[in-house]
Amino acid sequence: MEAISHAGTVLGVLAKDGVVLAAEKKVTGKLLDLSASTQGGYGGSGEKIFLLNTNVIGGVAGLTADANSLVNFCRSAAQRHLLTYNEDIPVELLAQRLCDLKQGYTQYGGLRPFGVSILYAGYDPHYEFQLYHSDPSGNYSGWKATCIGANSGTAQSLLKQEYKDDILVKDAIGLVLRTMSKTMDMEFAVLTLDPTTKTPKAKIYRPHEIDALLLSEGLTKKDEDTEMKSS
Amino acid sequence: METSFALTGKGYVIIAADTTAARSIVKMKVDEDKIKALGPHLLMAYSGEPGDTVQFAEYVERNIRLYQIRNTYSLRPSAAASWVRRSLAESLRSRHPYSVNLLLGGYDTASYDPHLYWIDYLGTISEVPFAAHGYGSYFALSLLDRYHNPEATLEEGLETLKRCIDEVTKRLVVSPGKYKVKVVDKDGVREVEI
Amino acid sequence: MSRSYDRALTVFSPDGHLFQVEYALEAVRKGTCAVGVRGKDVVVLGVEKKSVLQLQDPRTVRKVAMLDDHVCLAFAGLTADGRVLIDKARIECQSHRLTVEDPVTVEYITRYIAGIQQKYTQSGGVRPFGISTLIVGFDPHDSKPRLYQTEPSGIYSAWKANAIGRSSKTVREFLEKNHKDELSREDTIKLTVKSLLEVVQTGAKNIEISVMESYGKVTSLALSEIEAIVADIEKEKEAEAERKRSRLAATAAGQAAMSQRATEPGPSS
Repeated sequence: MEAISHAGTVLGVLAKDGVVLAAEKKVTGKLLDLSASTQGGYGGSGEKIFLLNTNVIGGVAGLTADANSLVNFCRSAAQRHLLTYNEDIPVELLAQRLCDLKQGYTQYGGLRPFGVSILYAGYDPHYEFQLYHSDPSGNYSGWKATCIGANSGTAQSLLKQEYKDDILVKDAIGLVLRTMSKTMDMEFAVLTLDPTTKTPKAKIYRPHEIDALLLSEGLTKKDEDTEMKSS
Repeated sequence: METSFALTGKGYVIIAADTTAARSIVKMKVDEDKIKALGPHLLMAYSGEPGDTVQFAEYVERNIRLYQIRNTYSLRPSAAASWVRRSLAESLRSRHPYSVNLLLGGYDTASYDPHLYWIDYLGTISEVPFAAHGYGSYFALSLLDRYHNPEATLEEGLETLKRCIDEVTKRLVVSPGKYKVKVVDKDGVREVEI
Repeated sequence: MSRSYDRALTVFSPDGHLFQVEYALEAVRKGTCAVGVRGKDVVVLGVEKKSVLQLQDPRTVRKVAMLDDHVCLAFAGLTADGRVLIDKARIECQSHRLTVEDPVTVEYITRYIAGIQQKYTQSGGVRPFGISTLIVGFDPHDSKPRLYQTEPSGIYSAWKANAIGRSSKTVREFLEKNHKDELSREDTIKLTVKSLLEVVQTGAKNIEISVMESYGKVTSLALSEIEAIVADIEKEKEAEAERKRSRLAATAAGQAAMSQRATEPGPSS
């Protein structure tokens, strides 16, 4: 639990027509080569936000190494479900699968619990858009908007003030960005329904797309950047 | 000999199965129910090796019920069918495979439409508008080809089913005497008289 | 994984205690309170609900779980442990139906759950389950309501009414004082709510009530219904207090009158 309270913030907001997820990236160093992640893959730098299945994206806070192995587990669990039932795994079931694993690590000896909290943003036909949070002890719960990691308390109370029950994705994006506004470097993802096929569509933003988004929301990250450069 | 039919219509699936339990040329029982309700909106007709059929059907029933209790909602028809097919396919490659043929019909409460799956003991699955197993299928499929209408009302659907049953009674030497007919639609599962 | 079996074994302390089990009980004592009350032909489960945060989805914070058509379970302690144990019990319920065609009896599933809990106090490399459970239900072909309790140690027992979790002692004492045999449906629900109010100060919104009336008939009460019952109880309490006050006043008046009479000079003297 302690490990998570220092980790980069991850924030999720459930909207009527989608879910928004954002994560703060801790700056490791200027020399870190991010070229591979900025170019390739499905977007994002693959550090905090992951595509767990076609219908679920996950944001992790905590020990990165533990998180990687949990993401791996999630992806296999989702594929196992797809193999047996020929349908995308329901979001709650995926959260449950992972929580069962986490719970096991607290109960069986010789192993330390995972130091990771996860936010799951997903869609399934049973409950439509959903947002779940799971902690290292293996508890999980569903949320309309929540936050994990450093400063999650303040962000949480901010969300509580600003959240409205019938919020739409475009407003939710604004809400998330405003709440995260202190953050310089982040990962960002949105899960919506494809308007033509009515199937879930996950979009994990690339860094330049995030910049554009920040600009369009009027939250200029540029200023701070130039400040940093000039100083 | 064992025969089962199923057809879809506007918002429903009808499944019919004969009620005879036979051993070789001897009828042991004439009121056997070979259609199980696997959930609030799911029906399964089973035929094949006696014993295997009941054993496998109960196994499926319990597993689908377990899923429902765990998650508070039941499996959708397509997911249930995939699971059943997989169970059969795994069984086929075990030392003692089940020899069971199935018709699985359900109403999807998430997308509001009926689904029908034809599954055989080899683990073949296909989603179809109408289906049949057993000797009766040789007579029924051509009739269903001609008369099936996906937009038919329940009355019209039952009429088409009756044609199939009558034809089998007329032409098949070893035709079964009685059928049980069940329907699944948005209101759930129920038995109907024909 | 042989490494995982050589640690965290529950061992006896020199004076005969199993500390791990007692720590587990401590986890239970920290958990939210759950109450079970048996009536004449009804059994009621009431649980204290931690207040759902504003942005939380209340569907995902439930403490009463259905094990099968005719058995319900409430637990106090670690939620994650509860979920895992419930899952094991649910599998057993269906597996039992598959092997012997009959649904489980309430005692059977209680014994099964207690059995698992016991196993985790004795096997190597594991810690005990940090939960106590209340299991209610009806046996097949029977109209008698059942109520059982299990503990982390693996003890199980049948009860007319019982409580587990936070301040369970207070609630149990309250139940001991107020429980009668052959309670009607309404009275059973009322007693459950009343006993929960002993520890839940915040009233109806933090109470969840499930009622099982006969085999397979489970209903959970809506918030408005619970609110009505709470209001009813408050009113009763007020009336009771009022009566007490007036009685006190009456006796006080009587005493005053008597003492006055004593000081008054009698007509004879």
